[in-house]
Amino acid sequence: MSQTLHIFKKDVRHLRFEIAIAVTVAALFAFIETKHALRPVDIANSSTPASYLALLLLPVTWWMLIGRTIHDEALPGDRQFWITRPYSWRSLLSAKLIFILAFINLPMLIAQAVIVHAYGFSFAVELPGLLWSQVLLTIIFVLPILAMSALTNSFVQLIAGILTPCVIALALAGLSFNFRPQFILIGVAGGLGLLNGHEWVRSYLIFLIITVAAAAILFWQYSRRRTIMARGFAVAAWILVAMMFYLISWPAIYRIDSALSRTHVDLSSAHLVSDLGAKGMPIAFRQGADYVGVQIPLQLKGLPAGTSARIENLSETFQVPDGTTWKSDNFSWENPKGPDQQFFVQTGFYGAAYLQRNDVPVKVHGTLYMTVFGNPHTTQVPFGERSVPVPQVGLCSATENPDRQNYYSVICNSAFRSPAVLVSYRFVQSNGDSSTEIDPLAGRRQLSFFPFPADLRISPVSHDFKMSYSIVPWDHAIVQTLEPLGHIQLDFDVDAGRARMHRSDNNEKIRP
Amino acid sequence: MTDILRTIDLSKRFSSTVALDHLNMIVPEHSVYGLVGPNGAGKTTTIKILMNILQSSEGTAEIFGRDSRRLSPHDFTQIGYVSENQQMPEWMTVEYFMNYLKPFYPNWDSARAQELLRQFDLPLDRKIRNLSHGMKMKAALASSLAYRPPLIILDEPFTGLDALVRDEFIAGVLECAEDATILISSHDLSEIETFASHIGYLENGRLQFSEEMTSLTERFREIEITLTNPVQSPASWPAAWLNKEQSATVVRFVDSHFDQERTIAEVHGMFGAVQQINVSSMPLRAIFVTLAKAGRKAA
Repeated sequence: MSQTLHIFKKDVRHLRFEIAIAVTVAALFAFIETKHALRPVDIANSSTPASYLALLLLPVTWWMLIGRTIHDEALPGDRQFWITRPYSWRSLLSAKLIFILAFINLPMLIAQAVIVHAYGFSFAVELPGLLWSQVLLTIIFVLPILAMSALTNSFVQLIAGILTPCVIALALAGLSFNFRPQFILIGVAGGLGLLNGHEWVRSYLIFLIITVAAAAILFWQYSRRRTIMARGFAVAAWILVAMMFYLISWPAIYRIDSALSRTHVDLSSAHLVSDLGAKGMPIAFRQGADYVGVQIPLQLKGLPAGTSARIENLSETFQVPDGTTWKSDNFSWENPKGPDQQFFVQTGFYGAAYLQRNDVPVKVHGTLYMTVFGNPHTTQVPFGERSVPVPQVGLCSATENPDRQNYYSVICNSAFRSPAVLVSYRFVQSNGDSSTEIDPLAGRRQLSFFPFPADLRISPVSHDFKMSYSIVPWDHAIVQTLEPLGHIQLDFDVDAGRARMHRSDNNEKIRP
Repeated sequence: MTDILRTIDLSKRFSSTVALDHLNMIVPEHSVYGLVGPNGAGKTTTIKILMNILQSSEGTAEIFGRDSRRLSPHDFTQIGYVSENQQMPEWMTVEYFMNYLKPFYPNWDSARAQELLRQFDLPLDRKIRNLSHGMKMKAALASSLAYRPPLIILDEPFTGLDALVRDEFIAGVLECAEDATILISSHDLSEIETFASHIGYLENGRLQFSEEMTSLTERFREIEITLTNPVQSPASWPAAWLNKEQSATVVRFVDSHFDQERTIAEVHGMFGAVQQINVSSMPLRAIFVTLAKAGRKAA
């Protein structure tokens, strides 16, 4: 332990300027975020250049600090003075980890605690989220750079080591037949855990790979200093992370998420009706040179009273009598609604030329993945600066905008993780004669049974802000939540008939 | 004498290049072992494997009877290592560097450290990055002698040092010579000759010989023969005769296994009656050059 502290003190002395910069940026970040907390409804100020700059600088200062401290006793190479001195690898690694805890995790923990407190959240209640947030920040922002630093001996090498796999991944993606530019954004967003709902399963598998790989590299490098083998391991880990986006199918993710759900309702009698008779028939139609669009009316039956379902995803297979099949990855849908719970799904595949040549009908086998919601809960939020706690959401406040007449706004702040419920908002008059729902698409993001107390985010408080213009004077806002009760997976088989010629009225997409 | 350091069939390959080829070397305790050889002979590679800086491809290296791959922090408290190409913590001042290293060594002798700093005339408040190469080497040596290690390993320590610094450096090392075992690799044979007790000659990754200095200098002699009459160059020469040169009546060579009676008998056997035989002892540098030339011809 004494050697650990001795090395730690040496690093503090050597890197005091870098430490000062990192701590200053963390303090600046806390200052900017708490300033926003004082004007919670003024969302326009929550994304100032200063806050963006702080968010950008934080990881940069962390990486600089990690690289500098690790490279002070660089591991690759055969000329470093320390490798012929009586260093214990455990003491050296411990000193570096303590350094990171002291000057990256601790300032960030304090900054997040200050911000959350400024927004009015109870520190005791949010402690699990605060701690878990540190774990996630460490996994994504610290461990990969720590491992890469252990494989390099200068900051230039470190940057090259980070950029090289990114460039290779982009080049390979560019060569891939199925590559689409948006995959880059999805990849980055997925890596940062920004993908909603069930994608947390994929994100956490990636987190697990990163954690195991980084721990193995650090152990291997510090105890053995076998850089070539460790670099090979790092490359393998990067490939495995990239493959997570292809290897783990959506149904698998859905199954894992479903297994964590605590089903509160009996969903065994829920089923789909595809034969709606006069109410609607499946239609297959040609669209463009080779595309066959298929529109399928469906009805959801057997849901328990007081619940509603929302479609999360869809998979479909198209088959013709000779056994030829196509799969679709392009579909849209509307959710079951109204008293009869009818809805449409629209999908398609590239096979029009084949169908015309063979003049055969199309059969569709599909699977719908849905979440069932219930247990509605409403909370009244009076206009004013006072925040009202909304269960499973956070703290909400509503304001008559003093600067802009007839504008009303409501904001809900959630600490560390997104609300685990569907949220919708209304402004109402006190006598209940009139009300307006704001942004009916709100809450359409996927929800899951994500069991952890924090999302991956640097800023600990997320905002859901709605503004409405009305000449009707409103008295207060209502925040309504719907709890996810369980997932269901339902199959359907329909005969879509022969593909008709292009129909412009069917060409429009159904908005999801 | 026990063996404090040895290699057993030690080999090292860098891609297709063989740096060490089944090297078997023994450094006895309390010896000053000079490891010499031409550039690329494998001296630094040998030392780096001994210090567990590089991994061997085959064979083993042992220090204090322990496999060098298993050297513990405690073992390193017993070894003083200085290399001419070692990277120092440039941001530290000399004083901070010494104070930083002190807690790593239970047997650190502060008085001796002060004495070495004074002896080497090292500026305590100057950062290592601002020191000359010679000063850096002296700082490295001071930091490696302050804990009185029983084993000192010096890899090309004289490279780039001027004569004055070299003398100071050698004086510092020699002070420890009685108590410690010293392994020193160097091109500077004239310096090695002054204090080495043993010499190992490494060439193309192979140890050509390894023996005590006195034995080495006694068995190498430069021989010059003045013949009575011109004779033809012999068809075959004794294997121990190196760098043979012959003019009409003068023959010169180096006998690598000199024994006065045997050598004179061999000379008479080959050339008959001779007018004069001059036998000269050789400095280490001359022996090294002879061996290097002979090695090149053989290759």
